Amino acid sequence: MANLYPRWFNRLPLMAGAGLLLSGALVTAGAWYYLTPKYSRVGYQPVQPVPYSHKTHVDQLGLDCRYCHSAVDKSWYANIPSPSVCMNCHSQVLASDARLAPIRDSFKSGEPVPWVQIHRTPDFVYFNHAVHVNRGVSCVSCHGQINEMVEVRHEKPLTMAFCLDCHRNPAPNLRPPEEVYNLRWTNDPAKQLAMGKKFAHDWKIMSSQNCYTCHR
Amino acid sequence: MTSPAAGLLSRIPDPPPELERKPLVENLRGFGWISDRIAGVAEGKTPTWWWVAFFPSVLLMLMCFTMVGYLVSTGVGVWGVNHPVGWGWAIINFVFWIGIGHAGTLISAILFLLRQRWRTAVNRAAEAMTIFAVMCAGIFPAIHVGRAWFAWWLFPIPNSNNIWPQFRSPLMWDVFAVSTYFTVSLLFWYMGLIPDLATMRDRSAGKIKKWIYGFFALGWMGSNRHWSNYEKAYLLLAGLSTPLVLSVHSIVSFDFSVSQLPGWHTTIFPPYFVAGAIFSGFGMVLTLLIPVRTLCHLEEVITVRHIELMGKVILATGSIVGYAYATEFFIAYYSGNPYELFTFKNRAFGPYWWAYWIMVSCNVICPQLFWFKKVRTNLVIVFILSIFVNIGMWFERFVIVVTSLHRDFLPSNWGYYSPTIVDILTFVGTFGLFLTLFLLFLRFVPLIAIAEVKSVIPQGDPDHPLAKQKETAAPSAALASGEPGPVSNGKPFGLLAEFETSADIKQAAIKVRVAGHKTWDVFTPFPIHGMDDAMGLRDSRVGWFTFCGGVLGFTTGMLMIWFMNAFDYPLAVGGKPLFSPVFAFPVSYELTILFGAFGSLLGMFIVNRLPRWHHPIFNSTRFPRVTHDRFFILIECRDGKYDEARTRQLLETAGGKNIELVKE
Repeated sequence: MANLYPRWFNRLPLMAGAGLLLSGALVTAGAWYYLTPKYSRVGYQPVQPVPYSHKTHVDQLGLDCRYCHSAVDKSWYANIPSPSVCMNCHSQVLASDARLAPIRDSFKSGEPVPWVQIHRTPDFVYFNHAVHVNRGVSCVSCHGQINEMVEVRHEKPLTMAFCLDCHRNPAPNLRPPEEVYNLRWTNDPAKQLAMGKKFAHDWKIMSSQNCYTCHR
Repeated sequence: MTSPAAGLLSRIPDPPPELERKPLVENLRGFGWISDRIAGVAEGKTPTWWWVAFFPSVLLMLMCFTMVGYLVSTGVGVWGVNHPVGWGWAIINFVFWIGIGHAGTLISAILFLLRQRWRTAVNRAAEAMTIFAVMCAGIFPAIHVGRAWFAWWLFPIPNSNNIWPQFRSPLMWDVFAVSTYFTVSLLFWYMGLIPDLATMRDRSAGKIKKWIYGFFALGWMGSNRHWSNYEKAYLLLAGLSTPLVLSVHSIVSFDFSVSQLPGWHTTIFPPYFVAGAIFSGFGMVLTLLIPVRTLCHLEEVITVRHIELMGKVILATGSIVGYAYATEFFIAYYSGNPYELFTFKNRAFGPYWWAYWIMVSCNVICPQLFWFKKVRTNLVIVFILSIFVNIGMWFERFVIVVTSLHRDFLPSNWGYYSPTIVDILTFVGTFGLFLTLFLLFLRFVPLIAIAEVKSVIPQGDPDHPLAKQKETAAPSAALASGEPGPVSNGKPFGLLAEFETSADIKQAAIKVRVAGHKTWDVFTPFPIHGMDDAMGLRDSRVGWFTFCGGVLGFTTGMLMIWFMNAFDYPLAVGGKPLFSPVFAFPVSYELTILFGAFGSLLGMFIVNRLPRWHHPIFNSTRFPRVTHDRFFILIECRDGKYDEARTRQLLETAGGKNIELVKE
């Protein structure tokens, strides 16, 4: 019987080992980058029925967040405004603009505008908007610079790790309560830390890391 | 015979013939016959019975997959589980299959350590059965989590949730126990297969078949230096598997007993579960092997004596199980706990009385028939009883899971659990998966450890009077007329001599060693006891690899759990400490075994320099019989005392035949 396998076959285990190591590292790196919300969710920007621009309304006109999301400081839910809120102005301004047709239809028929939801927490997560904005966590911390977006996009990963980062160390994200809805407010990083720590202490912010804080 | 003790022993008369141990293979069959008969099952035309069994199995298997697909796409609502019975057939079936998986490792590990040589005829099939049963078992926990695509969260893999598994939960220990068990069983099984895959390689006529078997045989050549390390690694794996097999079902029982439910919260659970697992495992081994030995014509290898011995194991473990049932009742009465007493009364006389009494009659009463030798040796009765054992053990898990859950502490929570058709079809389907895999195993892999059986027949013991008996049967065509390869013009590698019996090869090995050779080796179809001493080999170093693996596993376990649950993400659960070596122990224990097993196998490969598919010795046309019935000695040219004429003469005087110069 001749040898069934060529001589280089004996080096196969080493080659296979090296290959496995390399491909394993590549797969891990790929999954780490492409399969995490940092890649898969950040940047999500669906086409909305009406191309509503936060930049125009907030930055140029100076609307407060709570003019439309009126319950954000009172309830767990930052509500989407009903068309009547839009119609407060748009019954006069751009009253016959084609882009606003869905709003007017909705206003007449009572059917809600089919906005596409961008930021969503999983079913098993309980998130309370009021408790965050009333204790100095600005909209910007989770939603990014909404005031600069012509159309809203998913800006932050909003993973559990994202929540935990802040719950472990809330100081960098706490600002004076009157500045929570001022989306352009900035602070010197060195001062911010001291200020955040003081707020956390004064307002008794105990950002809990227990499972049942969010999973109830 | 110079020592006084030996002198004393020699005066004891030999036992009368009727008390002598019967050989394990009947009719004094030789090495060649064993290879031909066992390997023959996987060769040649596929028998009709195989197709008759295979088609329905495949259909059942497909049904199982369909049901799993339906469940995953729809949700666990398609099952009968609901309040108050939240753990239904999924957990029952999981424990049932895991229990069945215990016989394989018991036979291959514990019986090996206890020097029960009859295990050689049944261990391969039982190990295969173990692996397939654990695969069936693994389906259920994976799909019962509801969102099966998140089942990987059970493993300590970094994820974007920044959270780690919670190691205080016995369910977590279970993940580690079962996956370690599966991995170690697979390693053990594959390692045992390597010499037999080499046999299959050398027997195969077809080129592709030969190549595939050869690939998985990793270049095994039966070298005694390899056997020495191989046997050490096998012993170490057996030593690691023994505490493993006992721990797996103990940990499965913790899933129940750590909770505070009457009927589950008992200290008797671990030993009771382990005994039950071995009981059900042997039941399944008998159910499979009794038909297989007839269909594959292996009556002379898997003898009635083997069946009888397994019957005795069933009797012993069945009695332990019965004793455990009685103890549970006694403790329920003696503890004075009204909930406990209610649960047990409810088991026997409540709405599920029928399940309880099926369990008792199958598990406690049926095996008592094995007290009678007439029953143990009547294969039809043993087969029927083994099926009863399987049924009874399924009902045991049903009784434990369902009767404890369906009566909650508050009567307003009481309910009656029934499975849905999806539950039933999924479970029936797993039998299809199990049988499909087992039938494929029968057709493609030697179902009995050929090399191990050869080592326990009288001819395999060089000191036995029968060891000088020569093989009379002619080898198969593929082996006898090994086509000569292209004439090699490579430089000479060594002198190869052939021997016919184990007694000859041992004597010859002693002669070669005494002649002062160093770079030489003996090649045998099976490990010959005493050959290491004859060759003057020192003790194998594989143990160091195992030791390092084990230490690494234990430290990894402890450090990992401390890092994940106490340091990186301090996980407060139930007011328990963030880290304690007590709750970290089960997982660390499993990892000790897992890493130790990898250490043994890798150590064996490293020390043996395997895999090594290309070797000059394979250039010899006679050498393939080394995996069949012949023994060889090779003295390499680079040996210090090598001299072609003198070495050839040495091998001739030692009794070597067909001496040839092997070239590279």
